[in-house]
Amino acid sequence: MSAVAPPRPSRTRTRLVASVVCVVVVVAFWSVDINWARLGNLPSEIVRYLWLMFSAPDWSKLGEALYQTWRSVEMAWVGTVFGIIIATPLSFLAAKGFGPPPVQAALRGVFAVIRAVPEIIIAIIILSVTGLTPLTGALALAVGGIGTLGKWGFESIDGVPRGPIEAVRAAGGSTSQVLRWGVWPSASPEFLSFWLYRFEINVRASAVLGLIGVGGIGDMLTSYTQYRQWGVVGMLLIVVVIVTIALDAISGAIRRRITEGAPVHDLER
Amino acid sequence: MTQHTAEVGAVAPASAPWSIRMRDVSVRYPNGVVALKSISMDIEPGEMVSVVGLSGSGKSSLIRTINGLVPITSGQLTVGGHSLAEAKGRELRRLRGEVGMIFQGFNLAGRTSVLNNVLVGRLAHTPTWRTLLGLHTAADKQIAFDALERVGILAKAWDRASSLSGGQQQRVAIARALSQEPHLVLADEPVASLDPPTAHAVMRDLRRINTELGITVLTNLHLVDLAREYGTRLIGLRAGEVVYDGSVDDATDAVFEEIYGRSIRAEDVLDR
Repeated sequence: MSAVAPPRPSRTRTRLVASVVCVVVVVAFWSVDINWARLGNLPSEIVRYLWLMFSAPDWSKLGEALYQTWRSVEMAWVGTVFGIIIATPLSFLAAKGFGPPPVQAALRGVFAVIRAVPEIIIAIIILSVTGLTPLTGALALAVGGIGTLGKWGFESIDGVPRGPIEAVRAAGGSTSQVLRWGVWPSASPEFLSFWLYRFEINVRASAVLGLIGVGGIGDMLTSYTQYRQWGVVGMLLIVVVIVTIALDAISGAIRRRITEGAPVHDLER
Repeated sequence: MTQHTAEVGAVAPASAPWSIRMRDVSVRYPNGVVALKSISMDIEPGEMVSVVGLSGSGKSSLIRTINGLVPITSGQLTVGGHSLAEAKGRELRRLRGEVGMIFQGFNLAGRTSVLNNVLVGRLAHTPTWRTLLGLHTAADKQIAFDALERVGILAKAWDRASSLSGGQQQRVAIARALSQEPHLVLADEPVASLDPPTAHAVMRDLRRINTELGITVLTNLHLVDLAREYGTRLIGLRAGEVVYDGSVDDATDAVFEEIYGRSIRAEDVLDR
C-alpha cells in the first residue's frame, strides 16, 4: 500500500499575509524617527533614575501618600459601585431573550464603544462638566465599568443553563422572576467575581487618572515628578505597588472562593 | 374554571383537577417544522395519561402547548376551561401557575437551596416584589415544606440542589410542581435520566399525585413498560399525529409497534 497524500490546500493567502506584515514592520521602523544614539543611553539613564528614586525613599510624606491612596481607593470603589448599579440591569436587557432585539443590539454596541475609549479620555470629557474632583474620576471609572461589566454580564447570562429558566417560565414566572430565580442563582457567582475584578482594574486605573489632576495618589505622583523630588516619587511608587498587590491578592482570594463554590451548607443567593 | 364535572373518588384534593380539550391543534415552528398535525383529544379531570412516541414524534411539543410554552399555530385548546390561544402576558402566567411541569433534566437551579427551588412553584401566586427580594411568606414556605415532605426529602430542604442525586433532584422538581397546588401536572420524560429503580420510585410519586390528590397527570414516556404500568390511558403519537388513544389494558405490543412504526426492541423497555 502506498498512501497518496491529499492535495495540499493553497497557501497563497498565508504567504500574502506574511509578506504584508513584514513590509508593515519594516516601514514602521523606517518612518518612526528613532534617535538611536539616545537609545544607547537608555539603560544607564534607567539605572540613574532608579537610584534617584529608591536609594533613599523620602518617608516624610508617607502620611499624605496613604491619605491620597485612600482617596484613590475610594474613587475606585465609588466608580465600581456606580458601574455595577448601571451595568447590571443593562446587561440583563442586552442578554439573549430578555430585551427587545433592537435594544439588545444597541446596548451591545454601546458597551463596545465604551470599551474602546480609555478611562482617562472619558475623564477628560466628564471633566468639563464636573471639574477637577475625585467625583470626576469615579464617574469616569463608572462609565468605563459599564462597558466591561455590561459585556461580561450579558455573556454570562447567555451562557446560563436554559433548564431552570424554562422551569420558572413554566411555573408562571414573569421576566423579572425568570431573571431572579432562573438566571441569578446560576449567574451570581460570575457576577460577583466580575464586580471584584472590575474593582481591581479601577484601583489601578484610579492611579492613572491622577495624571489629569482629579486627585488621589496619581495626582501626587505627577506633582512630585514635576518637582523632581525623586525620593518622594520612589516612596509613592512603593506605596502604590504594595497597596495594589495587596488589594489584588485579597480580591483575587475572594473571587477564587466564589467561583470554586462554597461548602454545601453555605449558600450564596 | 367553568366546566368541572364532578370527579374521581380520590382523597379531597386541594384544588379541583383540570380537563384538557384539544380541537384540531397544529403547531408549526418558525423554522417550518410541523410538530403537531391537527390533534383533537379530550382528557378528563383526574386522568393519568401516558403519552408515548419516539423522539421527534411531537410529544414534547404536545405537552408544552398545554401550558403555553409552545404557542399553537391553529386550532382550539382549552385547559381547565381557559382558552390558551387567547391567553397572553399576565393571564397566561396565571394559567401556568396552576399547571405543574416536570422535566427530563430536572431543571433545578443547582447553586441555590432545595427550598428556593421548590419556592419557584409559588412565584405566580406571590406579589412580584416579594419574590424578587426573596421575602417568601411563612405560608408559602409551609407549602414548600409540605411538598418536600410528600416526596420524602424534607431533610434536604437547606441543601444545595446540585449536591443531590438525580432521583432526589427529580423529587425536588416534583415538589416544585406540587407547591404550585396545581390542577394539572405535565411530565416530560421524567425518568429518562434516571436508573431503573429510581425511575420506578419517581413514577410511583407521580402516580400518588394522581391517586391521592386527584390531580390530572400527563406523562411523556418512550418506554413501553412504564407507560403500561403507570398510566390508565395511553395516547400514541407518530410524526405529530395521534395514532392511538385508548386504555393501556388494550395496548398490546402490536399497538406499540404501530405507534413506533417498527418492532419493539430491548431499548424500548426499562426492565429487561
